[in-house]
Amino acid sequence: MMLKIDNLHVRVAGKEILKGLTLGVKAGEVHAIMGPNGAGKSTLGNVLAGRAGYEITQGSVEYNGANLLALEPEQRAAEGVFLAFQYPVEIAGVNNTYFLKAALNAQRKYRGEAELDSMQFLKSVREKLRVLHISDELLHRAVNAGFSGGEKKRNEIFQMALLEPKLAILDETDSGLDIDAMKLVADGVNAMRDPQRAFIVITHYQRLLDYIVPDFVHVMVDGRIVESGDKSLALKLEEHGYAWIAERKLAGVA
Amino acid sequence: MDAVALDDLLGSSAREREESWRYSKNAIRALTQQTFATAPPDATLSAETLQRIDLPFTRGRRIVIVNGAYSQRYSNIGELVSTIRLHHESAQRLKITISTGCADPLHLVYVSAPAGSASRWQADCEVELQSGSAGLIEQHVGEAGADVFGTLTSQITLGPGTVLRATMISDIPDSVSLLRKGHCTVGNSAVFAATHAHFGGRLQRIESRIDLVGTKSSCSSRGVFVLRGREHVDVHLDVRHNARDTRSNVFWRGVADQRSRGIFHGAITVAAGADGADAQLSNKNLLLSANAEIDTQPVLEIYADEVKASHGATVGQLDERVLFYLRSRGIPAAAARNLLIAAFCREVFDGMAIDVMREYLDAALVARLPADAGMP
Repeated sequence: MMLKIDNLHVRVAGKEILKGLTLGVKAGEVHAIMGPNGAGKSTLGNVLAGRAGYEITQGSVEYNGANLLALEPEQRAAEGVFLAFQYPVEIAGVNNTYFLKAALNAQRKYRGEAELDSMQFLKSVREKLRVLHISDELLHRAVNAGFSGGEKKRNEIFQMALLEPKLAILDETDSGLDIDAMKLVADGVNAMRDPQRAFIVITHYQRLLDYIVPDFVHVMVDGRIVESGDKSLALKLEEHGYAWIAERKLAGVA
Repeated sequence: MDAVALDDLLGSSAREREESWRYSKNAIRALTQQTFATAPPDATLSAETLQRIDLPFTRGRRIVIVNGAYSQRYSNIGELVSTIRLHHESAQRLKITISTGCADPLHLVYVSAPAGSASRWQADCEVELQSGSAGLIEQHVGEAGADVFGTLTSQITLGPGTVLRATMISDIPDSVSLLRKGHCTVGNSAVFAATHAHFGGRLQRIESRIDLVGTKSSCSSRGVFVLRGREHVDVHLDVRHNARDTRSNVFWRGVADQRSRGIFHGAITVAAGADGADAQLSNKNLLLSANAEIDTQPVLEIYADEVKASHGATVGQLDERVLFYLRSRGIPAAAARNLLIAAFCREVFDGMAIDVMREYLDAALVARLPADAGMP
């Protein structure tokens, strides 16, 4: 098991958001996590990436057999965890190329690998840019500064392609994208599917899953996974809505 | 230097002095109460200092002033063109007349070299540019040791149509205090473009008055200070639009860490009748520690009718969301902080005409960032 989340309880500003979440992800798998607003989907992504302000009150997260929660965000990144942000931040004054090279080399250094020189780095960058149909011009700008919503999301996937993580978490990467941009994002993800790599795709809508076909679909409601299944579950959700799950859950409890 | 001369520097009236020094009151009081001997003008400089002031691109055009006095020993003026003339009214009073500008910058170095006990120097420098464009680098360095207190008054006069690009850099230890009072007069269609970078000092007071007296004259003052320990930098800009169609652009950034103290006072005055003036002021500051303090005070006074003016000033902290974003990509926390601080400061150097100088300032800036982190 690459990722093993067991009975995870998390509080944000004193309020419990995750209420006993359990999830196992093996290398090579794509897991989709769906759920209504406020279910705690983004909290899960942020907790896995190591954002501050999340208090873990109970439970555990193991990543490749080690306690993920004990690692700093940069250590998690170097160990192969990647979060594609729902709202990528703009960083004025920091050139995109410079940032990516710094990130890649910091990770390589942590792993005891040789740092890439500028030539090697640019070669790698050009290959990934082609796949995602991103123009060179984006590289010369400050990180996400003045990028459109779609460009920001594509830049996240581009970073993922370049950093080649083992576990990629996509937090509502489809939100705000038109159908063409969504296809580009999906192409980028599909090109990276690999027996050694796992994905957790957090999404609000089923549509993305037409393009990134998941091995498992989980429905998250009120801080817990209440239903798991294969990709057909996403279609059922599309048909019946989240209320259907909530009702089934209530019926189950009763 | 006698007490009266210092009083003049601090401000002529008690009220003016009180207002002007309100944020540096204690720092200046401690200095005025301390006993200083005259700093020795013939001090021998360390190899490290000589290396620091030896910018490869100013060899042959370097004027070195040690503890306020012109130093024949350390100056290197073999390649000064004939259009640049130096006059010494005394060792401490230098007048530079540039009849026609030249591409290569002139390098003025002020060294504060400590004596056995606290010492003090004073110097005056006058620069006149009569035609063409010229570059001027004013560099202040100091050696660690007993306290040194230097005061420098300077006057720059820019003739019609001239362009002066000035780079003002100070990198001094916290045993050195510097009081600098500069006054630049900009003639018709002339341009004064100054870029500042200030690091360190027990007390650094940088007063810069710029009078745009000529029609269509313009000035820019871009600067940054980066402070740590108990360093204290107090910047006072005073830009006066006194003619028609004049432009000013003030763009300053400040960073304060640990227990340091930064002050930015930027005053722009557009006089009655100076219509068509365009005055922009931006001052942003970054506090890196709860014990550091930065005070910013933009002051815009407009007495003319047709004026375009804007000003903005902020004091903030590093954005935690941005820090997390960088860390989530693998950049360690300390390096991420350095990256953001450097980016914040580098905005000041953007668009500098002299590339080598921008690189030099950038290197000086990076050297000031917490070393343990390293730059990614």
